[in-house]
Amino acid sequence: MNALKHPAAAISVRSLCKRYGELMALDDFNLEVPQGSIFGLLGPNGAGKTTLIRILTTLMRQTSGEARIEGFDTRSNGRDIRALIGVVSQENSLDRYITARENLELHARLHGMEPKLYRRRIDELLELMGLSGRQKDMPDTFSGGMQRRLVVARALLHEPKVLFLDEPTTGLDPQSRRAVWDYIHSIAGRMTVFLTTHYLDEAEQLCDRIVIMDHGRLIDQGSSQELKDKLSGGTVYQIDFTDSVGRYADLLRQMACVKDIEIIDQSVCVALESWECLSEIVPALNGAPVRKISLKERTLEDVFMSLTGRKVRE
Amino acid sequence: MLRGSLAIWRRDMIVLRRSLLSEMVAVVAYPLTIYLAFGIGMKSYIGLVEGVPYSLFIAPGLITMTAVNAAYSESVWSLWFHRRVQFTIESYRVTPISVSEIVIAKILSGFTHGLVKGVMVGLVIFTITPFRFPLEHLAFYLLFLVPGSALFSCAGVICGTIMDKPETIGKVEAVFIMPLIFMSGLFFPLSSYPAQVIPWVRALPTTALFEGARQVLVAGTFQYEFLLQVSVTALLVFIAAVWIFRRKLSE
Repeated sequence: MNALKHPAAAISVRSLCKRYGELMALDDFNLEVPQGSIFGLLGPNGAGKTTLIRILTTLMRQTSGEARIEGFDTRSNGRDIRALIGVVSQENSLDRYITARENLELHARLHGMEPKLYRRRIDELLELMGLSGRQKDMPDTFSGGMQRRLVVARALLHEPKVLFLDEPTTGLDPQSRRAVWDYIHSIAGRMTVFLTTHYLDEAEQLCDRIVIMDHGRLIDQGSSQELKDKLSGGTVYQIDFTDSVGRYADLLRQMACVKDIEIIDQSVCVALESWECLSEIVPALNGAPVRKISLKERTLEDVFMSLTGRKVRE
Repeated sequence: MLRGSLAIWRRDMIVLRRSLLSEMVAVVAYPLTIYLAFGIGMKSYIGLVEGVPYSLFIAPGLITMTAVNAAYSESVWSLWFHRRVQFTIESYRVTPISVSEIVIAKILSGFTHGLVKGVMVGLVIFTITPFRFPLEHLAFYLLFLVPGSALFSCAGVICGTIMDKPETIGKVEAVFIMPLIFMSGLFFPLSSYPAQVIPWVRALPTTALFEGARQVLVAGTFQYEFLLQVSVTALLVFIAAVWIFRRKLSE
């Protein structure tokens, strides 16, 4: 074994590269995920998220660089790592020819758990996920939300130290999404959660730290608030007009404290240097057909757009 | 080392147990139809082959064919389905078992399918036809059936690993597997081939399997070289299956 005795980070990635022919899927990628944190990885399709998660879960080998899970090297300690991790993949990988309980029993055996131990643990998890009454049914008779909960239960069966969730709520109804979120909140601190998602509200709700990646590179990282604070343009207000939106947009554009302007239908989004500038704006709009002025909260989507130049689902 | 293999094999046996009765109808129907059509229907036209009635001549081959076909089909379709449709192979691979354990499990499952279905067809043929053999021959016959089923199971693992489209699997079965079985003296003695072809046909491991199995079951003649040929081929194909599977999954 080649593990670090007291790893400071649950996941540590140094200069990781993965090349597919001419395509560089991961390019000098560096990352540290503290133990016990909920960590979110955001990126548009093709950014390299899946490649990274496949390397970290030992399903794929890197071209160069180093990746460690709980101190174990992914290249030489695959079996040790797989004993420590739980994985909820994008695809529904449940076995539809055996019952929900048998699915869990199979995975407990693959993890070398003793029957006495896994029977009790399966009972607990089925209860927790609200699937006790359906444990003898085949998974393909379950709703999408129930199947997802069963996959999560399977990943938690052996009490992993690091849980990888690759788009865990894609395709779920809001109620099931909320159930998965609640569960992730409930395990916070007990294990490290590494989450990839297309849903920015999900990342915002769940993650202590977020990394934004694109073209195989780390673009930025921080808490949701830290990332939003980094956005240029200061405070943004949305002014809804009933008429003459173009005329007033031109007027606002000429003001010194206005950094940027965007016209959306009958509204103008005005980026100000600071909120105090609003006292200059309001008198200038005296007599204008203004319907509403509201503070526009910066979202993670804005951060994402400003960093990658595209929306997260593009 | 084999913990993972046993866990996956156990899963496959749960599925086999649940579907056994419905599968048996289909498994038994095909060889039984051939036996009734050729063994009974053609018996009076063909007479004796190598000194035995034609119905007796083809019976061991039909049992062997059922076993190896079942071993091949289970391995190829199971591996393809679990890899390409159900993604269960991926879920096995994030547990602390090795890739070799997954391959061994699938080979074991194919082999068990072959053995169970072969025995089932044997019992049906034994029950409803006059085909009889001394019981002591059975143990030696099983010596052929075990590496034979393992060989076809390994071949199934290779095909299920490298082929991504189901229609390709069907084509390989029709163009390669079935002709290989039929050419190996299942319905006729090898002496029917032109003299220059016989050495080539004899070199086939399937010929060693079908000829060796027939000779031991019908006449009690045990050909060690046939058994060795089948066993060595099964071992080589097993090594190839593990290597190909590992290579494919690392892509």
